[in-house]
Formats: sequence, C-alpha cells, structure tokens
Amino acid sequence: MSTSVGRSVGESWRVLRTPLLVTGLIVLAAIVVLIATSARTSGPFSPDSTESDGARALAALLKNHNVDVHSTETLDDAVQPGEGKVLIVGPAGSLDRPDWERIANAGWSHLVLIRPGSRALEVLAPGVQQTGNTLASRSREPGCDLPAAVKAGTATVSGPTYSAPSAAAACYGDGINNTVIRVEVGDRIVDVIGTPTSFTNEQLADDGNAALALNLIGTHQDLTWYLPQFESTDTGTGDDSGAPLIPPDVRYIAWALAFAVLVVAIWRGRRLGPVVAEQLPVIVHASETTEGRARLYRRSRARDRAAAALRESALAQLHKAHGIPRRADPSAVVATVAARTGWDPAMLYEMLYGLPPLTDDALMSLSDELDILTQEVRHP
Amino acid sequence: MVLTGRAGILAAAGVVFVALVMPSWSGVGLVVAVVLVVCVVDVLLAGSPRRLQFSRDGDTAVRLGEQAVVQLLVTNPSRRVRGWLRDAWPPSAGVLDPPHKLDLPSGERRRLVTHLVPTRRGDRQAARVTVRAFGPLGFAGRQGSHEVPWTVRALPPFNSRKHLPSRLARLRELDGRTALLVRGQGTEFDSLRDYVPGDDVRSIDWRATARRGNVVLRTWRPERDRQVAIVIDSGRLSAGRVGDAPRLDHAMDAALLLAALATRAGDRVSLLACDSTVRADVRRPAPQDVLPSFVNALANVEAELVQTDFRIVVSQVLERLGQRSLVVLLTGLDPAVIEESLLPVIGPLLRRHVVLLASVADPRLTELESSRADLLEVYSAASAARTRLDRDRLTATLTRAGVTVIDEPPDQIAPALADTYLALKKAGRL
Repeated sequence: MSTSVGRSVGESWRVLRTPLLVTGLIVLAAIVVLIATSARTSGPFSPDSTESDGARALAALLKNHNVDVHSTETLDDAVQPGEGKVLIVGPAGSLDRPDWERIANAGWSHLVLIRPGSRALEVLAPGVQQTGNTLASRSREPGCDLPAAVKAGTATVSGPTYSAPSAAAACYGDGINNTVIRVEVGDRIVDVIGTPTSFTNEQLADDGNAALALNLIGTHQDLTWYLPQFESTDTGTGDDSGAPLIPPDVRYIAWALAFAVLVVAIWRGRRLGPVVAEQLPVIVHASETTEGRARLYRRSRARDRAAAALRESALAQLHKAHGIPRRADPSAVVATVAARTGWDPAMLYEMLYGLPPLTDDALMSLSDELDILTQEVRHP
Repeated sequence: MVLTGRAGILAAAGVVFVALVMPSWSGVGLVVAVVLVVCVVDVLLAGSPRRLQFSRDGDTAVRLGEQAVVQLLVTNPSRRVRGWLRDAWPPSAGVLDPPHKLDLPSGERRRLVTHLVPTRRGDRQAARVTVRAFGPLGFAGRQGSHEVPWTVRALPPFNSRKHLPSRLARLRELDGRTALLVRGQGTEFDSLRDYVPGDDVRSIDWRATARRGNVVLRTWRPERDRQVAIVIDSGRLSAGRVGDAPRLDHAMDAALLLAALATRAGDRVSLLACDSTVRADVRRPAPQDVLPSFVNALANVEAELVQTDFRIVVSQVLERLGQRSLVVLLTGLDPAVIEESLLPVIGPLLRRHVVLLASVADPRLTELESSRADLLEVYSAASAARTRLDRDRLTATLTRAGVTVIDEPPDQIAPALADTYLALKKAGRL
C-alpha cells in the first residue's frame, strides 16, 4: 500500500513560519538601518556626511559662527522665497532649465553654486562659462581683489575651472581658468565654485580654505544647503528638453513581461518529483598500482630497476621455453640460448647479465632486443 | 501547485495586451489578476494526487542484464485525475519508460507497467511515485508524491553458466554413467551386479560370487557427499576492476559455476563472503536450493575498501567443515597482502583440507608488458614484468605450501576453476 508524502498547506505554513518571520525581521532591520544611516553618508558635499568627501566640518563651522544651516534634498525647499538668505546648490543632480529658473525667481540674496553645469550658469550667472580645463591640486594665491579671498589668503584648490566676464571677480586660478568666481546679477550675489574639494572634511583645515569658505558663504544668518537629487519637476512637460529617451509605456510592458517571465519560470522550474540519489561504487582499476609504479620509475629515472625487471622477466621466459634449470649458471644459460637461437653469446651475455643501461636510449634498445629475443620464444 | 505552458502563453498574451491596448498600471494589474484567477480556479478544480491509492505487484528479483516488470496499481477514490505520473527509481535500476500519461476517472483503477533493466548488482528500491494532476482548463494543477515501497533485487548474472553443460558431460564420464567401471583413486564402492562378458575381471567380487553361485562384479563410482567451501574475499583485493567489472563479480561468476557443478556431482557446497566481517554466509543448503540461495546471498555483496581479515576466514571455515574438504579461496594474488596476512594463518586449514586459491589475472598487465613504443611504455612494461614476477614468486610460494593456485584472466577463471575441481575429483584428492 502507499503513503502520501509531502506537506499540506497547514503543515507547510507551520514549517515555513519561523524562517519567514526571521527573514522578514532581517529585511525590516536592514531597511531601517539603511534609512537611518543614509542621511549621514548621502554622498559628497553633504553637510551631514562625515566621510572624507563630506562637508560636515564646514556645516559645523558655519553653525559656530551663528549661521543657521538647513539641509535639504528637495527642490521645493530651494525655491521658497529667499530674500536675505543664502542658498548653496551642491554638485550632483539633474536639474533642468525650468528648475534653475524657479531657483532664480525665488529671490535668494546670495547663491553659491558648487561646480555648476552649463544650464545653471546660463540661467543664474550669465557670462560665466565652463572652460573644460581642470586645475591640479595646489596651493594658490587669490590673484583677485575680492575681499573675501584677499582676507583668506592662499587656498588649496583643484577641479574644473570657469572663465569670468570682466565685471566679475575671478580668483584662485592661473588668470584665465579660475576656480572661484563672484558675479553680481542685479542685487543678487552669485558665487561659482569649481573646487568643492577645498571645503570637504579632508581639506578644510588646509591653508586658508576654512577662512575662504566662511568669507564666501557666511554672508547671511540663514543658509539653505540644497543637494539636488535625481529629480525634476519637468518630466514630460518641458518643451525645450526634447522627447524623453524611453517612452513611458515601456515601463508597463516591462512589468507585464516580468510577470510573464515569472509564470514561465514557475512552469519550467517545477520538476515531476525529486531527483533520486544513490550511492555509486568506487571505481579502482586493478592495474592502477602497476601503472603508478611505472610513472614512479620514470620520474626517478630508475633505469636500473626497470632493466632488472625486464631482464628477469625475459630470463624466466627463456628458462621455461628452453627447459633450463632454475639455478643454472649464467654462462650455461647464455650457451644454451645461443645454441637455440643462433645469437652471438657475448651479446646475449651483455643483454641478459650486463650492467644497467646509463641512458634512456640504452634502456629502450635493451628493451627492444629482449622483446625480439623473447618473441622468438613465444612464436617459434 | 504547478503551472503549464498555457499559463505561460496567457501571460505572454498579457504582455501584448498591455503594450497595445492598456499601457497603464491598471492594464498590468488586469493581466496579473486574470492569470492568477484562471490558475487558482484550475488548481481548485483539479483532481487530488494526495487521495490516490497505490499498490505494487511484479518481479522482485532479476538476473543482472535482464528485464524486470513492476506493475503499479492506481486507484482514484475522488475526482477525475488527468496528468502525468512518474514512477521514480534510482538511476542504476535502469527504468526504460518515460513518465506515464494518466487519465483516471473517479472510482476507477489503472495498471501502469514499469520496465527495469538494472545496471548494477544489488537491491534497487523504488523511490517515490509523483503525480501531477491538471485542472480542466489545463493552465495549472496540483502535484503530490507517494511512497510505494518495492524492491527489485538484481542478482549476479552467472554468465559462466554456458560452460556448465560441457563440464557436466565430463562429470558424467567421471561418474561412470557413460564409460568405464574402473576402480581407482577417487572412487568408492557403488553396488554389485552380475558379470557380463567384457567386464574387467579385476572387478569381480569373489566373496559375493561364492555366496551367490554366479559371477558377481563390483561397480565403482566417484566419491560423493564431499564438502566444498567457497570463500569469496570481498575486501580491497577484490575491488580492483579487471575489464569492466570488479574482481569480485568475476569471482562470483566462478563460484556459481563451481557450486552448480559440485552440486550435480553430489557434493555439499557452502558459501562464505568475508572481508573484515562476514558479508554472506550460506551453510550447506539442500541441492535444489544451492543456486537460488547463493545468488540471493551474493546479490548485495560489494567490495569493501578494507583489508580482509584472513583469521576470520580460517576460523569460520574450520568451524563449519568436519571431514576433509575442498576449500576454494577466491581472492587476489597481491604478494604483500597474501604473504603477510594469509600465509601465517593458513596452516590449520592446510593440515585438514585441500586448499585452492583462485585469482582473476588482469589482461591489462600482459598488454602493458608487450607494448614498448616509447619510454613510458618501456617503464610500464618493466613495472608490469615486476608485478608478474612477484605474482609468479607468490604462486610458487603458495604451491610449495600446498595450495593449488589458479591465476586466469576473467573469461577463463570460471571454466579453469571448474576444470581444476574435476581434476581434483578425478585424482581422488577430495
């Protein structure tokens, strides 16, 4: 008779309950930890990041100088009315032209653009342009009459450079390529900074970097520190950004396709019963030890042992074939074999009782001669 | 739960639907919902593999290389079951049939036949029976397994039985049924009968003649009711493969031929397979049971990679043999093992019994010795020559000690052993 194997739904649930619970807790904990820690290490030039490329030191310094630092990652905070306030726009992000226009219209008194792109420059700092060159890290003189820079003295700068219009103050560069530029657009001050690394935790203490940062940024009591993420209010509505590269329908098709792949995977993945295992016998060839010994002979070049074995074997065959007594004298054996086969006795003696061969070739030729001699015995 | 290709096609059609008709979240949701509902409904309507009842019937033993037939009786007490049934066996059971197609209406039963050609000796146990039942729509179904125990024993093939008729003919000659009534060694008194002209006058029993008044002749027959103990070494000496089977299998073949022949000759045969412990033990079965009990006992014996303890062998044989008997030891001629562990303990056996040692020679050694084309082959030839010389030396040592040694290649070992037995019987040495 038969017994059913496998588990019912209730049994499956009871068995799987604990593992599922544990897995769920682990996943939950991982998510919580990720969320809790993500703000502190959220990339370069974040005022919360304590990494070497973060800017927590600068934020702390500003706070010590009675500046309120508001950190944000959403565009809405960066477009609120900003009279009498400072806005720092971090280096990352994918803001479109309309976003920059909204920032421009917000009326910030002082804008600090960290390593801006061409779109930001067109909107916020007309006349300033990317040069495409990069300065190597080095301590430099201000080279301009901007008071903030002159007071700070030398600073260690590196990174992309910008060219400034004649009305602007262009500092820390080689005259043509500058890393710090201040332009005044209407009543708004716009700083373009190509050297964010100077103000990171790692380099803030070098040279006059800290003084330069405080002089440049600490102009107002209220500072908003905006790190643009990959967001934009502009998706699909902007007419100047061109058509999106991926049509929006594709994402639904992709989800439907993923579902279809899952269904097919379940269809193909379920086996008709488990694989049956069995114990297999060990396979050892009886001649393995003999072959192993042959390889050992060869590796240690045991020509003497090999030749002795071949000679003994040939002698045993000759003894048997010619009826020679077992304990016969070598000379008697040679005489008998020579008489029966017609081989030269001296050569036979050398073959059967000679010295071990000294080279591989000598061993080969000895083996061949013995083979011929015994073949005559085997097939007369 | 299982899905079918139809569910996959439905989901693929869903992709087209989303692409062309409803490119939105609701479209994706609709497709997922439709596929899920269809599959769940199908699963709920499918027959239950768990409720099926099974029983088995058929062959329990088969000679290795021949085909066994095992039947599986499936009864369905509940809803109709449509789908596939797989009767799973281990790979070496050699199942020939693909999974069975099953269509079993409620309350009916079906007989499914599985054909097996085992590829290895020993017991093969059925794994589980798995049934996949599809719903009426054919989109999804249920799957369940049952344990339906059954064992098919693959017996030693006894390929050497082709040599049996010729050896039996020789035995009959020896027996006197076909030819001479010559008195000699290895014969014993059979009966008295009247003299017929042409009979050997030396066989006339004068005492009986005097009593009866007419001339009476004695007839003779070969010795009967001797004991033959066959000992198979299942240790590591028997594990090495010669040709495509381990020495052990060749030894079993030879043992079975000898057992068949000795039984016909009227001798009592017993069997012992032994390595570090006793693996098979058959003590003096009735003549008609000899072969069946031997193949059954040997079916599950495998060569173990341990050193055989010949003290056990000797003590076991001495314990079960009273009168002077023939002890056949099927092992390997390995100088180190035989000299160190067999020769020191074989004395008591040799004093009371006739000992015959049979070993399967490896034709590969002859091959190695004769091919000498390059340097490695010359070294191989030297190594093979050394092995053969060692074996010859061991054979000489054993022969001096009083052991008869047979060292033959696999296809010769069984007839050679049978011939040696006949020769010993003829010579009256049993």
